[in-house]
Amino acid sequence: MESIIRTDHLTKYYGKVHALNDASISIKRGEIYGFLGLNGAGKSTTILLLLGIIHPTAGASFLYGKKVSAGNNSLWKNVGYLLERQYSYPELTVSENLEIIRRLRNISDKKSIDATIARLKLNPYKEVRAKNLSLGNVQRLGLAKALLHNPDILILDEPVNGLDPAGIVEIRELLKDLASTHGVTIFISSHILGEISRLATRIGIIHQGRLIQEIDTNELENLCRKRLVLDTDNKKAARLKLLENGYSVSVSREGLLEVEGADAIRHPENIANILVYAGLPPKLLKVEEENLESYFLRAIGVIGGDVK
Amino acid sequence: MKGILSALWVESLKVRRSRIFPITILGFTFMSIFMGLLIFIAKNPELVSRLGLLGTKANFFGEQTDWPAYFNLLMQITGMIGLIGFGFVTSWIFGREYSDRTIKDILALPVSRHVIVLSKLIVTVVWCLLLTLILFAVGLAAGWMIHIPGWSGELALQSFYNVIVISVLTILLCPIVAFFASYGRGYLPPVGFVIVTLITGQFINALGLGQFFPWMIPSLYGGAEGQHLEIISYVILCFTSIAGVIGTLAWWRFADQN
Repeated sequence: MESIIRTDHLTKYYGKVHALNDASISIKRGEIYGFLGLNGAGKSTTILLLLGIIHPTAGASFLYGKKVSAGNNSLWKNVGYLLERQYSYPELTVSENLEIIRRLRNISDKKSIDATIARLKLNPYKEVRAKNLSLGNVQRLGLAKALLHNPDILILDEPVNGLDPAGIVEIRELLKDLASTHGVTIFISSHILGEISRLATRIGIIHQGRLIQEIDTNELENLCRKRLVLDTDNKKAARLKLLENGYSVSVSREGLLEVEGADAIRHPENIANILVYAGLPPKLLKVEEENLESYFLRAIGVIGGDVK
Repeated sequence: MKGILSALWVESLKVRRSRIFPITILGFTFMSIFMGLLIFIAKNPELVSRLGLLGTKANFFGEQTDWPAYFNLLMQITGMIGLIGFGFVTSWIFGREYSDRTIKDILALPVSRHVIVLSKLIVTVVWCLLLTLILFAVGLAAGWMIHIPGWSGELALQSFYNVIVISVLTILLCPIVAFFASYGRGYLPPVGFVIVTLITGQFINALGLGQFFPWMIPSLYGGAEGQHLEIISYVILCFTSIAGVIGTLAWWRFADQN
């Protein structure tokens, strides 16, 4: 299937600072690509490059197979975008801010503004000036601007910034629906890992300007470490007993015993039996799966381990 | 064509809703009233002695407190206030996109960046011409109200023509301010630039080279220093203006806008 969004060895230097280094990404129609990284990792730089707002030092980005450049205006006809810090004209109302986008995007349907306002639940604030909006509603206005023309591509930088929990769920469902029902291709950057894991179909991890890994969300379960966590009154003796039985046991930061290995994960009852017969009955026995946060930190080398 | 009309509508909406728009109108209105006040004081010498500094300034008119002197003052004021006022207008139109951080919202749209820049420049021209008309119209009204002697319709028409020419010559300097607003990403750099040109202009004019310095040329046309302009002055002014337009267009097109 043809890539809708593609970057080819995309690189951006600001003097000696390597903001983005040799990033090659390919995103297909209807995919939700989650772009994960710490602050300053290069997420926003990638988005600005994708939008032609800054120019690459090397490499290129492509939308619908056409090279992104500041002069190629026709590219933006079907692209909606939201940048990390959303700003609107402060003295203009919500509907006037949207009217600006409607005119500049040459959208003939005047009702699109009311429809988008309703879609983003901005009705009560329609005639409120942007400078008087709450952070969450500023973000909703930004999303409204991105969605006004029903784009085929959405490029969103931290779209749930400032939204309350209900708003986060609502926007997540909206984006999922756009991708699954309408085939909208979504590139979404975030440092909120839980949000990305719930939303994205594929995840790219960027660290210090380098794209270090791409994973399908379906694969995430296999890639994330699983371990058996247990607690007993005599952890030292229990650890020795399990080591005698060939298990790999370590002590967690919380002081609990952690057992790794497929056999321990699949048959925790064997470990329970060993401990009970040794007079060391477990007080806690549970299989814990590494979450995306932990996986991400391991991937970028902040905590130990290899993700490969 | 539709793109430029849409962009013009958008830019005019931003101006109409801004607080700065009525402030500039009030500012130019006040300047005209102030000119009328000066000539009123000059007409009434008994007030001069009672009014300290203002009286001294008004005394510049000396014996001439008629319409020709008043129109001459309006022309000088158009050149001087125009340079500051129009520079401020241009700084706001271009610099606000950076100061309000709305610039990135208008860069990845189906409308060309050149169209956006041109529409901003057109709105700048319209705004500045409107301020010139206000300056002249309020000036006329103030003059009538204080019954300045020596009215002549022909003189008024000629003065209006001169004020418009001075205004247009000053407006030609706006694109370079637009470039500095874009390059400096805000209001302050272009405002600073305008102030520097004002100060530098005085020095250069003192050396007798004012007709070659773009920011002095509109004032010289107004006869501020009694100098006459040669064709080279107009060429320099046009060149400066074109350089400003090209520089601004190129900056919006080629510079990183982060």
